[in-house]
Amino acid sequence: MPANPLQDGLRLEPTPGPTTLVIFGATGDLTRRKLLPALYNLSRGQRLPARFSVIGVAREDQGDERFREAFHKSLEEFAGVKGTDPVADSLAARLYFTGGDFNDPAIYQRVASKLEEIDAAGVLFYLAIPPGAYKTVIQQLGATGLAKGKSEAQWRRVIVEKPFGTDLASAQELNRLVHEHFSEEQVFRIDHYLGKETVQNLLVFRFGNGMFEPIWNRRYIDHVQITAAETVGVERRAAYYEGAGALRDMVQNHLMQLLALVAMEPPITFSAENVRDRKLDALLAAQPLVDDSEGTPNVVRAQYGSGWVAGHEVPAYRAEPGVSPTSTTETYVALRMQLDSWRWAGVPFYLRTGKRLPKRTTEIAIQLRRPPLEIFKRVTPTPVAPNLLIVNVQPNEGISVRFEAKLPATRMQLAPVMMNFRYGTAFGRPVPEAYETLLLDAMLGDPTLFARHDFVEASWSMITPVHEKWSREPLTDAPFYEAGEWGPPEADALIAHDNRRWRTL
Amino acid sequence: MSDSDPHSLLPQGRAVAFEDIEETLQSAAGEAERRRAGTGTLVLAGSAERLVEAAAAVDELKDIGVRTVLISYGDNPEPTVRVSAYAVALEGLRPEYLNNAVAALRLSSLPTLVWWRGGTTSTLEGLATLADRLVLDAPDPTDAWAHVAALADKTAVSDLRWARLTRWRALMAHFFDLPDVLAAASRLRSLHVEGSDRYTAKLFAGWIASSLRWPRGQSYDFRERPGGAPIEAVALGDGSQELTLRLASARGCVETAARVCGADLASRTVSVGDQGLAALIGEELRIRARDLAFERAVAASKGMR
Repeated sequence: MPANPLQDGLRLEPTPGPTTLVIFGATGDLTRRKLLPALYNLSRGQRLPARFSVIGVAREDQGDERFREAFHKSLEEFAGVKGTDPVADSLAARLYFTGGDFNDPAIYQRVASKLEEIDAAGVLFYLAIPPGAYKTVIQQLGATGLAKGKSEAQWRRVIVEKPFGTDLASAQELNRLVHEHFSEEQVFRIDHYLGKETVQNLLVFRFGNGMFEPIWNRRYIDHVQITAAETVGVERRAAYYEGAGALRDMVQNHLMQLLALVAMEPPITFSAENVRDRKLDALLAAQPLVDDSEGTPNVVRAQYGSGWVAGHEVPAYRAEPGVSPTSTTETYVALRMQLDSWRWAGVPFYLRTGKRLPKRTTEIAIQLRRPPLEIFKRVTPTPVAPNLLIVNVQPNEGISVRFEAKLPATRMQLAPVMMNFRYGTAFGRPVPEAYETLLLDAMLGDPTLFARHDFVEASWSMITPVHEKWSREPLTDAPFYEAGEWGPPEADALIAHDNRRWRTL
Repeated sequence: MSDSDPHSLLPQGRAVAFEDIEETLQSAAGEAERRRAGTGTLVLAGSAERLVEAAAAVDELKDIGVRTVLISYGDNPEPTVRVSAYAVALEGLRPEYLNNAVAALRLSSLPTLVWWRGGTTSTLEGLATLADRLVLDAPDPTDAWAHVAALADKTAVSDLRWARLTRWRALMAHFFDLPDVLAAASRLRSLHVEGSDRYTAKLFAGWIASSLRWPRGQSYDFRERPGGAPIEAVALGDGSQELTLRLASARGCVETAARVCGADLASRTVSVGDQGLAALIGEELRIRARDLAFERAVAASKGMR
């Protein structure tokens, strides 16, 4: 087919060809909070194709009209759409719904009939459903022929939400099942962290500038800290979280992705495969987290007790609704990782994540080595602070650099100053929600910002031995930290053992 | 900054001597300004009347780290200078000194965009050597468009009308993602445009002509709608197909429809985005590359009425 003759020189970013999005789990929280608002915003920005439809699928049968009402309500609640909005009305008219049991082949036949009725070309299946239902839906999509299109324009792709497995064996099993019905090119394993502008910008920052990459190695970098801190507790996710914990919920996916982006070697080209190959290499270089020899552990886990966060008294994890009063699930985890690579040998990566911490923030802090000679030691009483390069992932996406400057009107007093770049203000345009970026990429068939099967498995192969060790040594009483504090003393000890400390946030 | 002058292009600015501009800008910048990353210089050049509206628009851009330089033409080698925290206004400058002023006031090492709101085209060549991007915006662009090919050898050139067409062009292009429309592309030779600005219509027609490789001299139908939006409706077709874009009664929206032999292939209502001056020039500030599609559209529009 010849190329679109009007595409050349368009200023707007590329738009996918005719697409139908089929959302399994269309009445769920993710659809309501993220997916429907993202579709509306994409439509407002003219990023959706001229022919675009959505088929919502869920266990309950509510009909097209109720799905459209739910769409408008979702926009009102999560996209700030008030009153009549012709763009929303126009999009709503192309929303359809079909309900039933995911085990029932009839539901897939109804989806197929609807796709035929609306003359669908490309179809993107979105599994916004509990992981327990993945197997059924994927098998049924394969069995009913929905996983394969009849021509290039009739592409078929599937987005799978996290968690992708619960350990290495289950992730391998899920990959095997997916690959029975979809080729890897059709599979988009979503990690919404990768849709954030700052995370993508990390690639530009490193490989689009000449000044950072020369110092991005063990000669100049002392260590790296990656923090993902939440102020919220377990909220309504106790049923899932009790079986998951912080290590599965945050480290296996989000933090491993951030680590790989910091540690990866430069890709030869900015292609999905090159970028993902180099990310995988970075992860494969990691030393095992579980060291059976005596010594300081590389992993610390803890659970929040009651405390005070954001101006409110909050209960302990064990007192949260749906949580066992004797639960030993970790809500906090801190890790020390070492990468056996030419670039990173001897540079520790410290990762920490937790719930009910004092601030909501996700960042990567790269601490550089101190200058080789302390020439100001005799004239300034305060020690020189090492340079820091901070990538703020959320909130306030941006990059900051800390360096020393001479205090004015002093003989030679030094003080650290921070130079900030903020996405929210620098370019005068709103930063898109991660789900907008990722939905669009999947429609365009660009997997760069999605996890490949081997990365997921490599990540689980890091994490699973930790869980196995923990299962051999069950905690009868987890170490606790008070809600509203920065984790347990054991986490401070983990980094203090290397004569370092966690960055003050 | 208290000596305000409501008749000035920069009413809240402070009158200073030219040589004090940089120092005044530094001292006027508040904490927020100091924290913000600089992104470039925006120079507006034109008659005082043409700059008033534009000055109000760029006021909306003050949060994006752009230094704005407003230069109105006059007969004064030593123009009135006013400075605010983020902008400089030179009022009544002789056009032949335009280049010197831009050279002195642009931020170093960051892109400079010149928004040229009309005047003698003899200034364009010099500006093109200083600017990283030259955005034409004359009431009658005929003379300026005649220079586009030569200017494009020196810098990236565009026209604000082209920015106004961005969303319209994208919507028309989306139709060509439909296999039926793409297959009929070579037969689509009938173009009808409605709006208040014939030059915007002409540019759109030039873009269609160059993209669909129409033979030179092919015309289009323009219906002027005085007092309306610069572009209000577009219809491209042949006997059996029609692709239409029309401003909806709801503000800021366009109704689109693709019909083949009477059947509706894809109709929807979409946002046409913010078409205000600030949004349009904001779009220009984000673009760095040479715009070959614009240059081809201007070339193809030559001879079209």
